[in-house]
Amino acid sequence: MNGATMPRSFTSWPLLLLMRANLLQSWRKLKAVRDQSRLLTSIIGLFVAGYLVLSFMLFYKGLKFISTFPGLGELLVERLIFLLFAFLFVLLLFSNLVIGYTNFFRNRETNFLLTLPVPAQTIYRWKFLESSLLASWAFLFLIAPLLAAYGLTKHAPWHFYVVTPSLVGMFIVLPAVAGSWCAVNLGRMLDRRTFQVMVIVIAGLMLISARYWWKAEPVDDETLETRVLAVLDRLLMKTKFAQFPLLPSYWLSSSVLQWLEGGMRSAGFFMLVLLSHVMFFGFLSFTRMGQQFYDAASIVQSRASVFGQWEWFRTWRSRRRAFHYSPGFLEHAFGLLRWVRKDVRALLVKDLRMFWRDTTQWGQTLMLFGLLGVYVINLRHFTQQLTNPFWVHLVSYLNLGACSLNLATLTTRFVYPQFSLEGKRLWIIGMAPLGIMRVVRAKFALATCGSLCVTLSLIWLSCHMLRMPLDRTLYFAAAITVMTFTLNALAVGLGVLYPNLREDNPGKIVSGFGGTFCLVLSFLYIVSSVTLLAIGSPWARFGQQSPELMFGTLAGFATLSVTMGWMPLKLGLRKVTSIEM
Amino acid sequence: MIEIISLVKKFGELIAVNDINLVVPRGEFFAVLGPNAAGKTTTIKILTGLMKPTSGAARVAGYDVQTHPLDARRRMAYVPDFPFLYEKLTPWEFFRFTGQLFQMEDRHMEEAARALIARFNLEDYLRKPIEGLSYGTRQRVAIASALLHDPEVFVIDEPMVGLDPHHARVVKDILKERSRAGMTVFVSTHQLSVAEEMADRIGIIHQGRLIAVGTREELRRQSGTDGALEHTFLALTAQEANFTEERAVAKS
Repeated sequence: MNGATMPRSFTSWPLLLLMRANLLQSWRKLKAVRDQSRLLTSIIGLFVAGYLVLSFMLFYKGLKFISTFPGLGELLVERLIFLLFAFLFVLLLFSNLVIGYTNFFRNRETNFLLTLPVPAQTIYRWKFLESSLLASWAFLFLIAPLLAAYGLTKHAPWHFYVVTPSLVGMFIVLPAVAGSWCAVNLGRMLDRRTFQVMVIVIAGLMLISARYWWKAEPVDDETLETRVLAVLDRLLMKTKFAQFPLLPSYWLSSSVLQWLEGGMRSAGFFMLVLLSHVMFFGFLSFTRMGQQFYDAASIVQSRASVFGQWEWFRTWRSRRRAFHYSPGFLEHAFGLLRWVRKDVRALLVKDLRMFWRDTTQWGQTLMLFGLLGVYVINLRHFTQQLTNPFWVHLVSYLNLGACSLNLATLTTRFVYPQFSLEGKRLWIIGMAPLGIMRVVRAKFALATCGSLCVTLSLIWLSCHMLRMPLDRTLYFAAAITVMTFTLNALAVGLGVLYPNLREDNPGKIVSGFGGTFCLVLSFLYIVSSVTLLAIGSPWARFGQQSPELMFGTLAGFATLSVTMGWMPLKLGLRKVTSIEM
Repeated sequence: MIEIISLVKKFGELIAVNDINLVVPRGEFFAVLGPNAAGKTTTIKILTGLMKPTSGAARVAGYDVQTHPLDARRRMAYVPDFPFLYEKLTPWEFFRFTGQLFQMEDRHMEEAARALIARFNLEDYLRKPIEGLSYGTRQRVAIASALLHDPEVFVIDEPMVGLDPHHARVVKDILKERSRAGMTVFVSTHQLSVAEEMADRIGIIHQGRLIAVGTREELRRQSGTDGALEHTFLALTAQEANFTEERAVAKS
């Protein structure tokens, strides 16, 4: 950029220049997403609005319900607000620490800026602002419906909705300052033995304390029914830490609650306490951290290894250097599948290794199915309530729906881009005497087998927790098997029909028309299938189902599965023979 | 070993490859030169079966790449100008993967891999993920993996990009040795020094047409220039540009 043509305010303030360039870039990225696929933009918009509306309604109903408890409602809601902001502070601190570290020391822009005549303090300021924004926006988005619902249940005046966001805006500065200070010092001291030992000891102590403090206390049904106050008292005792007056979350919670109650003097006092801390620590960060950041960046760049100080690490590394040319565990395991061709086995091993080593892929899979697994395991806590056949029936189909929806998210995210991802590597796969058609079939087989291991286990667990008989368990197992085959076939087929062979980033491949289309079709298929299966279930209305309806809906489900799975896969396999790279 | 017969590739109105005929016999080191967008990469993509020709045919080791693609691929190897590798694999896993794709016996694959690893000085990188390797090291991994199954025909686009002088020498030596042992090498490059030093014959593609083929001396005679290949190349491509312009004027 030519300084002579820029407005004077930008050239004399490099921070403004950086902000302007990055804002412009973000705006253009946003516009590019919109131009890339209007369908995708609409769906994202729909989901965002849907989350806001639904969560607002849930929080509103929940808070209304709690406030109906005579004498206790107010107390519980107040404690909830204190807890919300206390945990928000901790989450923001960790979020700022992780994002700050990445942004300060593992960021291309930072490395680029450090080579320019821009003061280190300015680079720190810019990266601090960027990290704080990236670390905080999602949390604010998540709590906004709760605060709005709280204001509405308490019939808050209009100015509550102006003051609260300003207070939260001030509040996020404190974890941002603390997080970035920790990130810079982590960068400086990460390889020091004393520091490493100290961190492990502190983390261990904190875990032990948390485990002791929050250990589950058994409460029997009788105590729950007859001694509510005693139980509540124990609950409040466990959460009293959120009202420690030196916590920044305490100042925020107190000012929000006092403002709502009309105690303006008290609210003003806590507001000023918060503001003074924000200004003091914000000023320190903005004026004193530049040199520390520069030193830390230099240390991180020149560090060979974080654990290089330890003898055991050096021995381990020297042992690793002696390379044994071994094939590896996966190759040995797949070697047992002798009926599978050697080149196909190699492809399967390669795909599994890539999946396992890509933390995004298995991390998201683990999170989605792990959460569902935790929910299913906890179904046993509801079994007393789930004695009514109607609820058992409903919950079993909802579980089928949840499991397949999770699967659809993963097939769209990870299976759909598989073919496109081979695009730039076609000089390897495409030049091998394996044939692209066999590659597509192998990918389908691997994705389906892998998915089946998870979906079948979850459905079996769900049926077990709901104490369903064997015939119903088998029925659900058959249904999820068909759905797993269909969803994987749909993702693989559409992946071949709408390939993006130029892109190397799976996220960008999925965000195109084909990926969005795959997601929409998968969701429509799941909703239709679960509805059909529920209507035609042999156990609906307790065995009074007409055979015509039952067979009709099952035939509908089978037809739908073939149309949505087999057809795209068939079309994809046909296209692959004539595809030009 | 490589036969290109009346090859034409059109992208709408644009003729990227215009009636190319070429035979590269077994064991020849053939270099193809040409300005940007001349049609070199398109020709290579058709030759390797990654793209279909509008008309004409390409044969590798006697097999038509369109009608007998698997037979042709079994006998050839291709390294593009920017060889994307599987970032999460280690070089050793990648070598095994490539060898298995070509159905190599484990013992044979290991022997071949060890020899290439030593030649390309890759011992220290075998356990590291490819994503952490430098561009030059990746290029060495790509070339070594392509040579692993001992192909009869080796097609490479810009072989020296990113390589340090030592490893550039290693690549040149290996390709020359293999070429003497019977492997046909088809190289596309902008580095005239590589063609000048290595190639038995040189072809010049310009605006989709193969405007000159021959040894360095034959090309020099054809262009009427003396000295470095650079002068020959510039003279031939300039002549062709003038000729095309004259044809366009005459036509209009």
